[in-house]
Amino acid sequence: MDDVVTAPEDVEDTRRPAYGAGRVLIFVYGVFALAATARATVQLIRDASEATFAYSLSALSAVVYILATVALAHNGRRMRRVGWITVSFELIGVLTIGTLSMLHPEYFPRDTVWSHFGQGYGYVPLVLPILGLIWMWRSSPARIAAG
Amino acid sequence: MRVVARVGTTLHGVSVVSWIIVGCCLVLAVWAVVLAVRNTSVTFNQLIGAAVIEVALVAQMVVAGISLAGGHDLGDPVTFWGYLITALVMMPVAAVVAFTERSRWSSVVLAVAAVVLMVMQMRVNQVWMTS
Repeated sequence: MDDVVTAPEDVEDTRRPAYGAGRVLIFVYGVFALAATARATVQLIRDASEATFAYSLSALSAVVYILATVALAHNGRRMRRVGWITVSFELIGVLTIGTLSMLHPEYFPRDTVWSHFGQGYGYVPLVLPILGLIWMWRSSPARIAAG
Repeated sequence: MRVVARVGTTLHGVSVVSWIIVGCCLVLAVWAVVLAVRNTSVTFNQLIGAAVIEVALVAQMVVAGISLAGGHDLGDPVTFWGYLITALVMMPVAAVVAFTERSRWSSVVLAVAAVVLMVMQMRVNQVWMTS
């Protein structure tokens, strides 16, 4: 390959390390990964048999939050694909479970992260995947390269 | 909202530490927002503040342990300790971001971390008072 550019050895990159607004998004995703994991763990330790469906959902959402956090932070080619899938899954999850918890509250004797569109968490679970999708689109290498 | 939680005349050590942490977090959050607006990244002095909060969190666990050994009735110990243990992670992660992200966005992350800790401490206080 002729077009490979190598940096001259005497040149130093003095720019301060910065990633931008995406770092906040990754941090908030991390907080939710932690919160969902802690919540699911507490629920499963304390009273697993009480609301199996709700608690399984908590555990599932925890796994998805962890995957999304790792994917957003890694930002590699394949990891971005994982990012798209997990963040979309979250949006679908919060919309489905949110609607279901409004129409059939009897399915949810105990709350999950996604119940009532994430009301218990200040609706952040609803806003987060939307911001995540916007970020995934904005930071897409293909889109940036296309100009 | 009570400034100092009292049951009868007993002052609860855990609640006192809790409100001290809430106060520190509020100061740190406002400080970080100011720097974010001024387009500045997290400063070393703020990390000292974060370390103080971290020490207060450990102190709270010790105070809680002593109170429980002394016979305080805790309704939901799993949730209580779950909150305390997860709270420990917030400031170190914000500090790592402060070192790797030398832009205003590290200030935003610190502000978010401080606000999340504040909310967690209010829940800790609530769970502690419920027997």
